[in-house]
Amino acid sequence: MIKAILVVALLVSLCYAYFQRRKSRLVAVGIALTGVAGIYFVLYPSHTSSLAARLGVGRGADLVFYCWIVSSLFIWIDLQFKILTLQVAVTELNRELALRNPRLPDRTNPAGESPPPKP
Amino acid sequence: MSSEQQIWIVIPGFNEAEVIHDVVARVRALYPRIVVVDDCSQDVTGERARSAGATVLRHPMNLGQGAALQTGIRYALEQGATHIITFDADGQHRVEDIDVLLRTQQETQADIVFGSRFLGSATDIPPFRRMVLKTAVEFTALTSGVRLTDAHNGLRLLTRRAAEAIRIRQNRMAHASEIIGKVGALRLRFAEAPVTIVYTKYSLSKGQKLSNAINILAELFVARLHR
Repeated sequence: MIKAILVVALLVSLCYAYFQRRKSRLVAVGIALTGVAGIYFVLYPSHTSSLAARLGVGRGADLVFYCWIVSSLFIWIDLQFKILTLQVAVTELNRELALRNPRLPDRTNPAGESPPPKP
Repeated sequence: MSSEQQIWIVIPGFNEAEVIHDVVARVRALYPRIVVVDDCSQDVTGERARSAGATVLRHPMNLGQGAALQTGIRYALEQGATHIITFDADGQHRVEDIDVLLRTQQETQADIVFGSRFLGSATDIPPFRRMVLKTAVEFTALTSGVRLTDAHNGLRLLTRRAAEAIRIRQNRMAHASEIIGKVGALRLRFAEAPVTIVYTKYSLSKGQKLSNAINILAELFVARLHR
């Protein structure tokens, strides 16, 4: 039962990777590779130990943990991209508001006279 | 300065009420077209800049110096600017150096002229800051292919051509490296001019912290990965 749930969750991540491919190929490939590796490890857990030994990692659980670290890095990068996209939108909005409301120089107080007092 | 030239001074400001009036007044004595971009200051920076004779644009929320510069540059372009000077609000730049930038641009026909404290003079530059700035020069040369003597100087001249071509997307302090990167990528003609940086207690307190170098690197890294 748990295997089915994990496999479905990892298939969802593969779908996500597919839809992310245009926004960032690097992130999409990273998530896809991690998803495929995750499905493989879920379906063939005994292979993790032999694979770990070949890679010089130690235990299969350690290998899975390291894969989790790498996938978390990709997720972090993807989140940064989303934040960046939002930031661009917010910046443009603020810029438009500023440009539409320029405050022209105060002609009643020519340059050189004292500045307004502090509030 | 020819009669066809429209020189605009763009000054990004955040909480500079203490000095902005003097800065704008000094600049305005020689260059009347000034736009101060108030980056959502919590003091009266905008009011004081306006009373000194600047046009003021105000961001409803704080975005960063890079964003403020781009807003000011866009405004200047809309007003018909032929030459745009970026000038810091904290008083560390000298108005006389604007003429140095203009003459350098005239002589070299460069699209963009960068002010350099290492070609001119930097009064009382702290040794550690000097070392970090030199490191920034090497990093920028490595990543952009553009070798300058001063890669983080806010005093620069952009011709209309350069201002239209360079669109600053880095909101905060990575914009300086971004501008240089775009000069290299767009193969814009550039030159450097000797300028003086005046380090005062106030300007040092307002300057970016050297630990920001890590943030700048992270911002540039993420931007490079993002399309």
